[in-house]
Amino acid sequence: MLVIGECIHVISKEVKTALENRDKQFLQTLALHQIKSGAHVIDLNIGPQKKTGPDVMKWAVQTVQEAADVTISLDTTNAAAIEAGLGVVKKKAFINSTDATPERLQALMPLAAKYKASIVALTYSGGGLPTTADARIELASELILPVAAELGIPIEDIYLDPLVLAVNCNQDQAIITIEAVRFFKQMSDPPPKTVCGLSNISSGCPKEMRPLLNRVFLTMLLGAGLDSAIVDPLDNALMDVLRIIDSQKAVTPKEKLYLDLYNAYAAGTPFEPSGVDMNIAELRDIVKTVLVIENKTMYAHGYLRL
Amino acid sequence: MPVEVPVEKWAGKVNEVTLGGNGRKSIVIGGETTLPFLKIDGAMPHRPAIAVEVDDVMPADWSPHLIAAWGDALKDPAVWAKKAAEYGADIIVLTLDSAHPERGNTGAAEAKKTVEKVLAAVDLPVIIIGPDVAEKDNEVLIAASSVGRGQRLALGNCVDKNYRSVAAACIADGHVAIAKTPIDINLAKQLNILICDIGLAPDAILMDPTTGGLGYGIEYTYSVMERLRLAALIGDKMTSMPMICDVGEESWRQKEARATSGVPATWGDHQERALAWEGITGVSLLNSGADIVVLQHPRTIALIKDAISKLMA
Repeated sequence: MLVIGECIHVISKEVKTALENRDKQFLQTLALHQIKSGAHVIDLNIGPQKKTGPDVMKWAVQTVQEAADVTISLDTTNAAAIEAGLGVVKKKAFINSTDATPERLQALMPLAAKYKASIVALTYSGGGLPTTADARIELASELILPVAAELGIPIEDIYLDPLVLAVNCNQDQAIITIEAVRFFKQMSDPPPKTVCGLSNISSGCPKEMRPLLNRVFLTMLLGAGLDSAIVDPLDNALMDVLRIIDSQKAVTPKEKLYLDLYNAYAAGTPFEPSGVDMNIAELRDIVKTVLVIENKTMYAHGYLRL
Repeated sequence: MPVEVPVEKWAGKVNEVTLGGNGRKSIVIGGETTLPFLKIDGAMPHRPAIAVEVDDVMPADWSPHLIAAWGDALKDPAVWAKKAAEYGADIIVLTLDSAHPERGNTGAAEAKKTVEKVLAAVDLPVIIIGPDVAEKDNEVLIAASSVGRGQRLALGNCVDKNYRSVAAACIADGHVAIAKTPIDINLAKQLNILICDIGLAPDAILMDPTTGGLGYGIEYTYSVMERLRLAALIGDKMTSMPMICDVGEESWRQKEARATSGVPATWGDHQERALAWEGITGVSLLNSGADIVVLQHPRTIALIKDAISKLMA
């Protein structure tokens, strides 16, 4: 899986300060740290930056590139800032992101075509959020992909994002998101790529529970065919799960469980937890988390305690 | 051609919660193994109960129709409770509204006296509700708890801010806690988990999912109750508590139940419209799984009682 490192994000106070002060060392250290931990792409979320967006993005891209030869993901709603970043990237970059609204598609898709960039496209068209996998497919096939095709953007450069919602508020959507990824990968030959903002799944959940939800959800998404995800590469346990799945090698019972879960989802067969030793807490917690994501047990902050 | 009726076999069961006893009449709430009134799939062993609200002070802002219906009884909670029993209440809900900091700020001593008086006046099971300010709730509910020791009252509201002390009082004095959450299935389940963690038995908990009156969010309450009940029937122990809905309060405060002027003539007779508001809210929530409906108007008591009898038949 292509790992897009999310740590350079304007919501973090330190990042915000570093962007304001043009603190090269901070940005480079954070980029290198992520690359060392396994990130293939460095996401640069600079916020909307209405006035200085192009300058900030250009500076951020050049700063990271000075330290590392890495793919950059340009993450802002400011199209001018994205274009400024595209002008200075050394490798094929990611535009993060458009959605299915005409305004965003018209602003960003031509940039993807002009600069031969990859582009993340959220299956969202304003108004209500899509509530079914079919609604997400429809947005992709009727609004996003036709625009890309018209501009001659190769379908492999389109990264469809099924829009991950918090399991805490929209529990039924978790499994629907996974199914949407599966359908995206069956849309055409070659199929579009898929991506998601993983940690949205655990947004609003107690801090100590978020990594487990993220890990289990990612395993299931990968089974369904997810190509890439925007994640925290500094989360060692998450990266361990990725390694297990990539290598298809599992030694401990926990590793085997993650691999079984992945394989069940990859085969499109129901995950059967019947063989799992539920006396072992770490295995039990994984199974309980699968049941929550599959919407078979109602989520509550204390679900692991039951 | 014979039609095969599809029958759903549920694995779960709503908890049976007993209120009253020890010299007081007792009532069992809950116990369903099916969706409301759907006897094809399972059993509904106990009728939903009608609880009637009695306040410890004369309500300042009640509709003239409620005031006319109850008359001077509103001035004395013991008299009011007796009258409610005559009208057919299964349970009395005594609200200690005078403890609210802005409505009298009375304390534990006054609460004890009022609770003693009402317990002496009626032999029905009793629910005690605080003024809905967490620290005042603690004060008066703990006082009420000791007065009613062993009589299996229900104490509320038990919310995320005060659940520890309310649950502890319930454990100490043998009462039932009313766990109230703001129209959210996940929070409802979580509060039940937290209360059980303290050591209160699951069959000593009622859930109040928070009632949205007709036109004011009833569809949200309906849907949350429906999902909680489906989860319970699937076998989720932490959503298997019977549900209580504050139908009267939430119906009579709405514009449609209150407005006498400036509304279209097609809205019809004011009193009939107001009663319809409470009645429709009540029947709707019975159909989404309410095990106890708390009512305010004597005529609604009769109406809901009749509706329950017909639905149970």
